[in-house]
Amino acid sequence: MKSIIRKCFYMATFILSAVSIHPASIDLSIAASLKEVVTELSNDFANMKPAVSFKRNTGAPGALATQIENGAPCDIFFSANADWADYLMKKKLADAGSISVLAFNELVFVGKSGLKVNGLNDVVTLKKIAIGSPKSVPAGEYAMEAFTKADLVGRLKYKLVMAKDVRECLMYAERGEVDGAFVYRTDAAIASRNVKILFIVPQRLYRRITYTMTLTGSGAGKKEAADFYRFMHSAHAKKVLVKYGFAVK
Amino acid sequence: MKLRMEIQKRFGAFHLDANFEIEGDRIGIFGPSGSGKSTLVGILAGLHSPDEGVIDIDGTTIFDSREDIHVAVPERRIGMVFQHHHLFPHLSVKRNLLYGYRRCPAENRRIKPENLISALEIGHLLDRRVAHLSGGERQRIAIGRALLSNPRLLIMDEPLSGLDDNLKLKIIHSLKSACDTFRIPYLFISHSQIETRIMTDRVLTVEKGRVTGQMTGEELARSRMKDHIAGYVNLLKLRHVRTIHGMSVYRWGDRQLYISPGDDHPETIFELSSAEIILCKRHPDAISARNLLYCRVTDIFETGGRLGIELTCGKERLIVEIVRKAAEDLGIRKGIKIYAVIKATAFRKLR
Amino acid sequence: MFGFSPSDYSAIALSVKVAITATLLSLPFGFAVAYLMTFNKFRGKIVLDGIVNLPLTLPPVVVGYLLLLLLGRNGWIGRTLLQPLGIEVIFTWKAAVIATAVVGFPLMVRSIRIGMETIDRGLIQASRTLGAGRLDTVTTVILPLSLRGIIAGSVLMFARGLGEFGATIIVAGNIPGVTQTIPLAIYEYASSPGGDVMAMALCGISITLSGIVLIFHEWIGRRMDRAG
Repeated sequence: MKSIIRKCFYMATFILSAVSIHPASIDLSIAASLKEVVTELSNDFANMKPAVSFKRNTGAPGALATQIENGAPCDIFFSANADWADYLMKKKLADAGSISVLAFNELVFVGKSGLKVNGLNDVVTLKKIAIGSPKSVPAGEYAMEAFTKADLVGRLKYKLVMAKDVRECLMYAERGEVDGAFVYRTDAAIASRNVKILFIVPQRLYRRITYTMTLTGSGAGKKEAADFYRFMHSAHAKKVLVKYGFAVK
Repeated sequence: MKLRMEIQKRFGAFHLDANFEIEGDRIGIFGPSGSGKSTLVGILAGLHSPDEGVIDIDGTTIFDSREDIHVAVPERRIGMVFQHHHLFPHLSVKRNLLYGYRRCPAENRRIKPENLISALEIGHLLDRRVAHLSGGERQRIAIGRALLSNPRLLIMDEPLSGLDDNLKLKIIHSLKSACDTFRIPYLFISHSQIETRIMTDRVLTVEKGRVTGQMTGEELARSRMKDHIAGYVNLLKLRHVRTIHGMSVYRWGDRQLYISPGDDHPETIFELSSAEIILCKRHPDAISARNLLYCRVTDIFETGGRLGIELTCGKERLIVEIVRKAAEDLGIRKGIKIYAVIKATAFRKLR
Repeated sequence: MFGFSPSDYSAIALSVKVAITATLLSLPFGFAVAYLMTFNKFRGKIVLDGIVNLPLTLPPVVVGYLLLLLLGRNGWIGRTLLQPLGIEVIFTWKAAVIATAVVGFPLMVRSIRIGMETIDRGLIQASRTLGAGRLDTVTTVILPLSLRGIIAGSVLMFARGLGEFGATIIVAGNIPGVTQTIPLAIYEYASSPGGDVMAMALCGISITLSGIVLIFHEWIGRRMDRAG
């Protein structure tokens, strides 16, 4: 009799501990340019809910979408455009109701201070320009859109250095391996001192940079992930986004 | 040619210590395997460096460790025929032959390809590839190649090893006549007394890394008599006269010899072991041996418990080996005349 | 054909061009190093062996990064030699060639050494006694007899060069038409959804090229056997 009670006690403890003490883990796939702001906000959220921990994966939204499609775990997907979010929807990995707009940004061209570049016409005269690979990096897509609208694509031959995401573009510019790079305004803000914004790409040349946030099928099933999704729309979150230079309207 | 070597070389447990001066155009180097003969000539050719010493050829110093003189291999103009032919596998026979010739300055090109090719009878092999030659053919090409580089001295390191006996003799003959024709002094290394006797005039003996002496081929053979079961091997150069009844008649000096089986070659060298000759004080009659030579005893010497008797027959010489008791019983002394009895079948053809 | 874009065709042409150039450039150095290692005794031979084989043991990305440090604007060679002469290496096809050459060098040296070690030393001695100086012996005896090793080394390096990625992307970057070789193009396609078809098509081209090179190597080997 005593041994049976002891065994039941041990089993109960085991089951209870598995349920209550085990922390909830949320998987995030984050567009490179959102790295710092999402990190800060997820830390804020984790401070409020100690049982929650985050796994953050940063990269180009296209590359991230491919990974998710191939089975990489992801509860919330942050993209620098709507296209990749729609892609996931088409692949039945998220439903339409779980996609929302998070923030906005602007495209700028950075380079060494003192470089005489005032617009796209000047850019095509440079020797090497870094852009994110348009196949997977929205920043690169936006830049190519602008060149196309300005009818300058033909003059870009052999000049474009493809980077895997917008941060790599910035790195090339900082190292001086390219003459300049197309990055977001928010990236330029954290750039080192030897690069500065040479000009802002006129908004009329490209679609507005729209960040989307998608709660995936697996994320929708997790209470904490859904909570964090709502948290990202809170007033506090908006304040932090603005602090980092993103537009929220 | 005058050669002087005073060198020391140590590697591992082996110590080569050579100190000699020798003169002549046909020099032999004789010694057992492992005695250091190959290393010695390798040093002479410049392929190895001695730890210290001097090497002089005809008065020119090609190596001196004190004066820091070290003439490079190509400049020493010492040709070499190796034990293993070392013909270039990627070149045709013709290219192999001309390799050294091409690198010889025009003014030194005494030996011309056409002459050498006919002397060594290798004309029919010119367009073959090295891999398709027989052992004997390869050695002949190797010899030709070395000679065509017009060296001032040719070193032959056991060039006949690995060839069968008939081949050896054939090649020895072409070798000697080629070198004589083209007047190239040579150093001939061998562990065979017979080869050494045929090819050389003076011989350096090498044992355990030291040069132990200098002598003629004959003297060498005599000094080695006690090591040989066959005793001393007499070499007789014979000229064919006629062949009758399956037996050949040869001229030897001013004597005639009957040999069976013989052949029709105009000139042949025959071996005759000193132990196969019987001595007789009186002319033996009704005896089966076909050869009875009346000779004079010119020398008697000790040879490991037995006696060597040197006989002179006209201008030729013969060495006979008998037991001491027989010499005593017959009262053999220097100066007496005696009959040497030899069977027609006791001779062995060398070439 | 296969729906390749112009930049895909350049990637294929560029891959072949870079691999061939890197191989040809490395041949004389590879031969010289193999010769030194096979036929000479000297202090520090082990050290040289270690340096030559280093790229074989390091991840290509590390090799690329080290090359970047060396040849970049602030690099040791970059600062002292390239900048003053106005030579730009980083992010040009020259960098792709250098990266491929460095990564493949140990393979080439190894193959040539193996070929050289089978050469009978007696042949070298023979050529010297026949009047050939050092250089003469190298060109008329050692070189022809190392041919198999040289060809094997070249084929190996060429094939390795076709697939070079890690060092190339660091030091030459991904510039379509200039440094984007087949592996870099595949990487780009593989990172984007819907790029699978193109990535596989390029893989097919890569496999075909390697196949051609290997068949060529076999054919040459057979011809040499028959001739020798």
